[in-house]
Amino acid sequence: MTGVAEPSTSEPSRPRRARLLPSDLSYRPDAALIERRAAAEPDWLAADRRAALAAIGELPIEPNQLYTGYVDLRAARLADTVAWERVDTSGRDASTELEPGLSAIAAFEDDRITTLAIDEAARGAGVIVESLGALIERDPALARTLLTDGASLAADDRLAQLSRAAWNQGALVWVPPGVVLEQPIVLRWAVGAPGRALHVRSIVVLGEGADATLVEEIVPSGATVPGGQGLFTSTTEIQLGGHARLAMASLQESGPDQVVFQQRRAFIAEGADLRWALAQLGGRLVRSRVDNVLAGDRGTVEQVEIVFGAADQLHDLTSYTRHVGRDTTGQLLSKGVLMDRARSYMKGLITIEKSAIGTDSFLGEFGMNLAKTARAVAIPSLEIDQPDCRRAAHSSSVGPIDENQLFYLESRGIPADDARKFIVLGFLEPVVARVPLEDARERLRDALEAKWAIGTASPATAA
Amino acid sequence: MTSTRDLVRDERDQFAFHDDITYLRETKRGLTRETVEEISGFKGEPDWMLQFRLRAYDHFLKRKMPVWTDGLADIDFDKIVYYRKPSEREEKSWDDVPEQIKSTFEKLGIPEAERKFLAGVGAQYDSEVVYHSVREELSKIGVVFMGTDQALKEYPDIFRRHFGTVVPPEDNKFAALNSAVWSGGSFVYVPKGVEVPLPLQAYFRINGENTGQFERTLIVVEEGAKVHYIEGCTAPIYATDSLHAAVVEVVALPHSKVRYTTIQNWSNDVYNLVTKRAHAHAWSTVEWVDANTGSRKTVKFPAIYLRGEGARAEVISVAVAGRGQHQDTGAKAIHLAPNTTSRIVSKSVSKDGGRATYRGQLKVAPGATGVTASVRCDALMLDDESRSDTYPYIDIQEDDTTMTHEATVGKISADQIFYLMSRGLTENEAQNLVIQGFLEVFTKELPMEYAIEFNRLVKLEMEGSLG
Repeated sequence: MTGVAEPSTSEPSRPRRARLLPSDLSYRPDAALIERRAAAEPDWLAADRRAALAAIGELPIEPNQLYTGYVDLRAARLADTVAWERVDTSGRDASTELEPGLSAIAAFEDDRITTLAIDEAARGAGVIVESLGALIERDPALARTLLTDGASLAADDRLAQLSRAAWNQGALVWVPPGVVLEQPIVLRWAVGAPGRALHVRSIVVLGEGADATLVEEIVPSGATVPGGQGLFTSTTEIQLGGHARLAMASLQESGPDQVVFQQRRAFIAEGADLRWALAQLGGRLVRSRVDNVLAGDRGTVEQVEIVFGAADQLHDLTSYTRHVGRDTTGQLLSKGVLMDRARSYMKGLITIEKSAIGTDSFLGEFGMNLAKTARAVAIPSLEIDQPDCRRAAHSSSVGPIDENQLFYLESRGIPADDARKFIVLGFLEPVVARVPLEDARERLRDALEAKWAIGTASPATAA
Repeated sequence: MTSTRDLVRDERDQFAFHDDITYLRETKRGLTRETVEEISGFKGEPDWMLQFRLRAYDHFLKRKMPVWTDGLADIDFDKIVYYRKPSEREEKSWDDVPEQIKSTFEKLGIPEAERKFLAGVGAQYDSEVVYHSVREELSKIGVVFMGTDQALKEYPDIFRRHFGTVVPPEDNKFAALNSAVWSGGSFVYVPKGVEVPLPLQAYFRINGENTGQFERTLIVVEEGAKVHYIEGCTAPIYATDSLHAAVVEVVALPHSKVRYTTIQNWSNDVYNLVTKRAHAHAWSTVEWVDANTGSRKTVKFPAIYLRGEGARAEVISVAVAGRGQHQDTGAKAIHLAPNTTSRIVSKSVSKDGGRATYRGQLKVAPGATGVTASVRCDALMLDDESRSDTYPYIDIQEDDTTMTHEATVGKISADQIFYLMSRGLTENEAQNLVIQGFLEVFTKELPMEYAIEFNRLVKLEMEGSLG
């Protein structure tokens, strides 16, 4: 052979994929599909989708310069993934059977709505749990206000704008002023059809003085197959009126190959109280962002988040808490346990604005690496323009299982393996205990134990 | 409150002066390939150094300005004079130093300091070391303390073996700039097993509007040796901006101990963008003790790469940010070997609209087992106009690492002030005392003379902001 090298004929040339940078997202929203969807929608919604689609190209995956070094989307092999062409948003075929112990449930499986049910008392009090498709038909003016208010999705975040452009399913939870719900509302998303993208928006509005608990469950759908990757993007757009109280738990237990992008943003008015309990167990690649905006005086937010990572999972979590009103309180805690080659990036930023006199804000990020190949990143940050605060602090630690605790338990006759399990599960218990629904709580405990059992059986995790 | 005026008398004028120096050689404003060649030519450097400079220059052009901190876009690289040489050769004796330069240093108190306890003086006047003395006994035990340019000529082998190995030109844009146009700085070599009994000290000064200072310091400490190096900086106040982009490289070989103390008080128009890094080999200890009070903007994160087993790193970093200032400072500890330990303590004070940012990195690489690391950051904000940020990056890739990080931000407690005032102090005195107490973790690490000077600097900084 001389001169120009030619493709060798003796070896079959494998089609080589273009090398992806960690910040390259292989998924592209299908503009033609979005146009087809928009054609059947009100003009204002079509315009909103087009505006978002136009913005996407310009926006970075990671809008915050502080975190650009910690983006890795290479596990998302989504070049051939497409959004569902037709999604049932009417819920006409959905079951209306309410599981005991709930105020309401909206359950979805890939492109379908499987259950939409609400108890009579709640319905009578004006509580609404419906699909966004139903909302647009029932009350277009309200739908327009809620979906296009411009502030409920981060304008500078490509993944937020992706949801805004491409959303094809969604739910509204509406609790009128003064209504107190004793029983939780469940939003269940069963996802996992390979090669398919489901983009959902959830809008949660609590009127003044309302009180509710919400449990979000993300589980594998029947279409999930081993090695098949799908995309699930979701938003949770929360507005809490004055003195409203919301406890929101989320259990993310999607299949092991699923890609999950979550955007959550909460506006917390005067005296309102938001309590997050977020558990990240599933998915191959999870990128989550939470924005808490303490807009009114004396608002509070408590956010407790756990990650239990194994195999090659990457959980990339960012939370922003902005104190704007006076005497607001933020209590933010993230905990991660990592086995095998799992990675967790825990990034948190507390911003105390000049107006936020009397703020009390604490951010803690704690990691437990259980394998030599695991990796924990913690970036807890503070930006403070108002020194007159009750507290502005953060703390983080990464370490192995505490040998003293282990010794203590073993000295009480507990076998070493059990002792390790108790310590790990105890480390994650603060979130488990905050899950408001007994069934969900038990399921989370079981899931954590099962994951522990699988993880410790694999050779990569040193016992 | 008039009495407090006396207590914190404004002594800034004493440090803000500018002598009319006739520069013997200088480059044209702005930076081109020719500037780089010209600097190397002036100095009669070996070809490898010229090639090193040109490689760095190429990288400087290619490298984008960092975006994670703001305000750097205001730097006009074309306005800067990159090389100035105020006198023709290094002076060995104080008597031979030109009178004008000498008077500048006398105002800074160098000769007295030297007489009292200093082991050696390397004073940087603009871009060249003009005055230098090393105590006889140090020379006898083989300790080298001289200007970096001179060391390149006199100790070419040691120099070439270590130069640019800790901070390569490609590290960041300002390290590339320094590598292209560096001039002056100190070279310290401590032979195997030698403990330098007294701190080595160099005063750095910028003199001259728009003079860039690109000193390059290289400290090599052989096995089992021990040294404490101190740099202090004062600068005249000028209206237009000056740029100071230094590189400091420290090589701490096995079982050695190095402490590097900085008291930085650049005038408030200086951009101080410094890359300081140490390689800590097995069982060595490296300590950065670093205070930043002046400058318009300081970007400096003293770093320690823990490369050998059992190495120890300690960084104590203090920053005071006043009106128009941004102190973007912190520390980095990169654990690359087993059983290494690091401790980072950072204290910052912001006031009068100043901004203090802690930015740090703690990394434990795969294979670095048994690491213990801690980071502690505390910030005081004295008024509503000021700002304080904390950005620690923690990246742990080993399962038996023990790492803790704590940060707090707050204001001076009213209780403390009330208590001190009830004991007869004025409010201003009480605040000064609280601030000095807050920064004591740093001051107690300083030699006494420096501790006094530092406390005076802090008081100066507080002047006008309190009461």
